[in-house]
Amino acid sequence: MKTDTLIAMLARGAGPAPRALAARRLSPAAVGGLLASAAFALAWNGSIPAQMFATAVPWTKMAYAGALALAAGWLTACLSRPAAPIGRPRRVAALVVLAMAAVGGASLALAPAGARWDMLLGHSWSTCPWSVLTLSLPALAASLWAVRGLAPTRPRAAGFAAGLLAGSVGAFGYSLSCPEASPAFVAVWYTLGIGLTGALGAALGPRVLRW
Amino acid sequence: MSTDASSGDFESALKPLWLRAQAGDDAAYRQCLGLLATRLRGYLKRRLYGLPDEVEDLVQETLLALHLQRGTYDPALPVSAWAVAIARHKLVDLWRRRGRRDSLHDAIDDVDEQLLAAEPQDGSARRDLEALLQGLPDAQRQAIVLTKLEGLSVAEAAARTGASESAIKVQVHRGLKRLAALVRQDG
Repeated sequence: MKTDTLIAMLARGAGPAPRALAARRLSPAAVGGLLASAAFALAWNGSIPAQMFATAVPWTKMAYAGALALAAGWLTACLSRPAAPIGRPRRVAALVVLAMAAVGGASLALAPAGARWDMLLGHSWSTCPWSVLTLSLPALAASLWAVRGLAPTRPRAAGFAAGLLAGSVGAFGYSLSCPEASPAFVAVWYTLGIGLTGALGAALGPRVLRW
Repeated sequence: MSTDASSGDFESALKPLWLRAQAGDDAAYRQCLGLLATRLRGYLKRRLYGLPDEVEDLVQETLLALHLQRGTYDPALPVSAWAVAIARHKLVDLWRRRGRRDSLHDAIDDVDEQLLAAEPQDGSARRDLEALLQGLPDAQRQAIVLTKLEGLSVAEAAARTGASESAIKVQVHRGLKRLAALVRQDG
């Protein structure tokens, strides 16, 4: 086949390029993953008591998970586009994690010394990261699938970013059924669960993000 | 410095044309792909000096990928950087499939404009379009043959086959994706 023949064929009737392709592929993956994680969390653990929604606790978790999901989604979109710079989304994602760490640290500093271990460990520290990871799996599958249809030239980094997105989405769903009340708990164990999902995405990236 | 200047000229000549192509100007798109093909040929030839037979195959594989992924182009970026990042990905993929992991040393998205010197002579790949098309499902092959080879509009192709216009578009896109996968397999 002559290359000129191929070019003529590709250009003929090509029309305009699709717009906002990354956003159009990633958004349904994130929203679908969120619905799945919320549904599994509620079916599995039940909702937190209604009066808890009158406190800042669940809203802090959702704000953290939501902000990190947006930053990770931005990062994933950049890593799905060849040659796109990733400095800004990476900094924003780091800032979100640091902000949560600062809030958690401040709450520990303000608490009486005897209460700090309980605030940090709660009663579910050993299961929380794994619950977040498990609840993130539908979002991880969906977002890796979305990225695979784009053009990731750095599959490990793109897999990690997709994992962060999925982990944040899973954490958002988990916050509906997690009764822990301490920001320090969220800063450590939610972040660890999100990080585990990121690591899983990074491990899968080179294998599944081929195109 | 003259090569720097000519690469800058290349990008400044390509970009306005490319933006018109992205907006739906098929003639501009064809011209862009032609310009990019000459540059990519030069880039790949230098990287594949041990495998001259692979050069044109990979040029074509890259052009197919550019086409299928044109929605991932960000207007804030140089077109040539975007195109070379895709060519480089295809090159890494080829080497990985051939089990040569150590052949690339520079960073993956680090694009040296000087590598984009032109290599104008047209090449021909070893693969045959007819044979590749035979590997597609009937609906995809028919949609591609009618709109891409016979030059029918989507509406005409829809009328000819009895499928809807959006179905024709989907079949063309899927068919080109399948074609890209076949091209990758036989490389």
